[in-house]
Amino acid sequence: MQERLNELQNQAKNDLAKANSRDEVELVKTKYLGRKGVISEIIKSIPSLPSEQRATIGKLANKLKQEISKEIEAAKKQCEASLTLPSLGAKSTGKVFDVSLPGERKSYGRKHPIAQTIDEIKGFFGKLGFDVEYGPEVESEYYNFDALNVPPDHPSREDFDTFYLDNKLLLRSQTSTVQIRVMEKKKPPIRMIAPGKVFRPDTVDARHASMFHQVEGLMVDEGVSFSDLKFTLTTFCEAYFGQDIKMRFRPSFFPFTEPSAEADISCSICKGEGCNVCSYSGWVEVLGAGMVDPNVFEAVNYDADKYTGFAFGIGVERLTMLRYGIDDIRLFFENDMRFLSQF
Amino acid sequence: MKASYNWLKDYCKHNLSLKELLEGLTNVGLVVDNSSPIDNDFCLDIEVTSNRPDCLGMIGIAREIATFIRGELIVPDVDYGTISESVNDITSVIIEDEELCPRYTAQIIKDVNIGQSPEWLQKRISAIGLRPVNNIVDITNYVLMECGQPLHAFDFDKLEGKKIIVRRAVKGETMVAIDGTKSTLSPDELVIADAKRPVAIAGIMGGKDTEVSETTKNILLESAFFNPGTVRRSSRKLGIQSDSSFRFERRVDPECVGWASRRAAKMIQDIAGGQIAEGIIDKNCLKKEKTNITLRIPRLNSLLGIHIEKDIAKDILERLQFKMISETETSLEVSVPSFRGDVYREIDLIEEVIRIQGYDNIPTKGNIGIKPIQENKFDLIVEKVKNIISGLGFSEVVTDSIVGNSQNQYDSIWSDNSNIKIMNPIRQDEDLLRKTLIHNLLKVKKHNQNYGMEKIQIYELSKVYLPSKNDNMPEEKECLCILGEDGFLSLKGTIEAILSHLNVAHRLEITPYRSDLFSPEKSAELKLEGNILGYIGELSSDAIKYHDFRSTPCITELNFNLLVDMANLESSFQKIPLFPTMERDLAIVSDEKVTWSDINKCIESLNIDYLDNIEFFDVYRGKQVEKGKKSIAFRLIFRADDRTLKSEEVDALQEKILGNLKNTLGVRLRT
Repeated sequence: MQERLNELQNQAKNDLAKANSRDEVELVKTKYLGRKGVISEIIKSIPSLPSEQRATIGKLANKLKQEISKEIEAAKKQCEASLTLPSLGAKSTGKVFDVSLPGERKSYGRKHPIAQTIDEIKGFFGKLGFDVEYGPEVESEYYNFDALNVPPDHPSREDFDTFYLDNKLLLRSQTSTVQIRVMEKKKPPIRMIAPGKVFRPDTVDARHASMFHQVEGLMVDEGVSFSDLKFTLTTFCEAYFGQDIKMRFRPSFFPFTEPSAEADISCSICKGEGCNVCSYSGWVEVLGAGMVDPNVFEAVNYDADKYTGFAFGIGVERLTMLRYGIDDIRLFFENDMRFLSQF
Repeated sequence: MKASYNWLKDYCKHNLSLKELLEGLTNVGLVVDNSSPIDNDFCLDIEVTSNRPDCLGMIGIAREIATFIRGELIVPDVDYGTISESVNDITSVIIEDEELCPRYTAQIIKDVNIGQSPEWLQKRISAIGLRPVNNIVDITNYVLMECGQPLHAFDFDKLEGKKIIVRRAVKGETMVAIDGTKSTLSPDELVIADAKRPVAIAGIMGGKDTEVSETTKNILLESAFFNPGTVRRSSRKLGIQSDSSFRFERRVDPECVGWASRRAAKMIQDIAGGQIAEGIIDKNCLKKEKTNITLRIPRLNSLLGIHIEKDIAKDILERLQFKMISETETSLEVSVPSFRGDVYREIDLIEEVIRIQGYDNIPTKGNIGIKPIQENKFDLIVEKVKNIISGLGFSEVVTDSIVGNSQNQYDSIWSDNSNIKIMNPIRQDEDLLRKTLIHNLLKVKKHNQNYGMEKIQIYELSKVYLPSKNDNMPEEKECLCILGEDGFLSLKGTIEAILSHLNVAHRLEITPYRSDLFSPEKSAELKLEGNILGYIGELSSDAIKYHDFRSTPCITELNFNLLVDMANLESSFQKIPLFPTMERDLAIVSDEKVTWSDINKCIESLNIDYLDNIEFFDVYRGKQVEKGKKSIAFRLIFRADDRTLKSEEVDALQEKILGNLKNTLGVRLRT
């Protein structure tokens, strides 16, 4: 009986060696370990053996059972690992094919980097509940200056700071115009951003363009504070430039906000050490902001004692240039495909 | 505003390093653009915002420093001795226009010794970029830089009639200024004149004839307040800008006028000798307006989202030289110093307090709550359209709205009126607002071709500006312009893909269209439900030659607003058909003049319920088709919703269709 068991073990090993697929291994398993398998038969026959042999054979049979199942499991794993198809009969055509050849190029277009930045800004502020609004690019002095509390003699009204058209019209020099247009139509609470083109008669060079893009922002409600402004804009800059930037708000002046602020981020080029991008200050300006001036509320018939608000303006080209390290604003409008295809 | 690190220490003793000083100034709103070492000193280039003319002098900047370091502001004293002869016995001042010159002061200093300034004075003014001239001129410049009040010294003996008349210029009067520019004046300009002629353009520059020179003995010293707007306009008009006009334009401190005059007189006496005549002529019709403002501390704190005690606010305002008028538990009433014309409301005081307290001290944690956003159909459609065009291989470009006048050899399809013109362009040849995006896209193509990129696929979604017939605001039309390189039908297919993506229910109506820009054959007008959607065409051979293109671009310009109107974002699900289709492929022979659109319309006019679709295959001209004719191959697809169609039914429908084509269009089945 003992010999028979040894023989069975060898037989099983041979069978497994021949089995090339999971299915074939399963067949071997059934043959030896199945309910009606060889080993089961042996175990069933134990009671009929002489009593002195029963215990030994029983032990040996169980041991054999364990060993065979181990080997079956191993064989199964091997089959899975080398799940090749030769058993399905795939035959080479004899033709040589170089899989390392480049893939056939699928061409796709991209959004302009300016549009991508505006999308990101819209995406961020959308999460904070800011609606997107648009306004005309050809504007009147009222919306570009008067309603924004720009005094009649303010230098920004000079014709070297604003493009003038016939009929007392002009090309808006800031997207702040949209603040007024929205507040004229709606009552608080207001949360909006207004992306768009603005125009200034600057001589074109690496840092100036006569047309560029801004995103204006405005939030008006009861109890809106400068702290809310700092929170909103700090969160935005961290989202756009990364959590590790530092941010600084410092006093500035805009006719339509009071108090006014300019916000700087730590220079990403030199990490605040000082370089020519940040004029060796370690800081680069990213946006202007402030609490809405009461005179602006007056122009749109809001109760300036009841409502407060903050406004901000972001230069889209500037933001994009800082993020990517682009050193010439003219690249945006030249539309060289070698530039556009990088974004 | 240029300031000297050393000089500032005269007015505020501080121990700040240069770096600390710059940081402190930046934190209160005076950004230092750069600082350069010069002769044991530093020249600071300080950006002074237009609302803060009080910081256009060293003392003003020192006042800010003294405030943030809690130090003392030291103002030089201006006591001096005079001779007994009164200024009123020597000269006189007449102001003819008090609105343009509300205050004018004059002093006389006799027997001065003109010469070089002492070294310390030369060094001081050189450090901030001024060129030393002579002691008198240097002193007036010094005092200007010290307190921000411009001064002018006349050679008194050269003033005709020994008097000053402040008046508007007479039309055609001329004056040569100190810098040599000769100006022809008009009554818009305010001048300082003697009995005969203008001797200075008020607030802008003195005249050459009466300037202080080596031979000067006696001086008339002017210190005045001129109307800011007048100075600004004259300065722009005459093209003369000076340190003096820069400050008058921004409004000088009305109460500093006399102090500056005395300060300069004292320095002249100390440095150039001379005797100061007793008294000062001071024609002053400026009203002493004291502005009193109340600051509510709770308002301050709620607006800023901070907690500042009343005493801190009080301390800051006092250090900025606001005077306490009265005080309650929760408010302060202050009067505004004369040099702070920018402060006239509570909000301005709030800014003053937080500016000094530091924006950094405002907490950055916010709780603005949530608010759902409105749906924005325009943006949704822009997004959809850009996504599909990008996927089809077109890259977005952004080009300038301002275009050159030479570009418009092809007129816009949207308007026959001439372009809106910019009155003050940067370049005289680029002074128009575009009426089409087409030329800008061609320009982009040209640029890329020049750099070796022969074929590019681009689009722009932007505004064109169409003049309105009346005086109203112009129409700003949002246009989608696409330039492709794969021919007319490929670009037409792109448009169809966009329409399908937007679920536009109406069929694209297309009719031939002629323009100089497009090829006569491959160009068309596009309509949706009778509204013009836009135009499409391959460039004409002339246009290709003109631009020197090496490929044949096809361009379309579409009215994007119409697309937005026609788009349907509320598409609903339609069940997938249960029963199979039956197809019939046909080839017919027709006259050249019969269009695909004719064939379509002819078939559709039969209103066959089971006809699901008509698919175009191709057009063939050649051997098997006689001249002047063409063969068109297409597939008819039939389907019923409730059953599988029988072959005989479809045969009958096909016969009906062919019959109609034969009768109305004269086509025959190709055999």
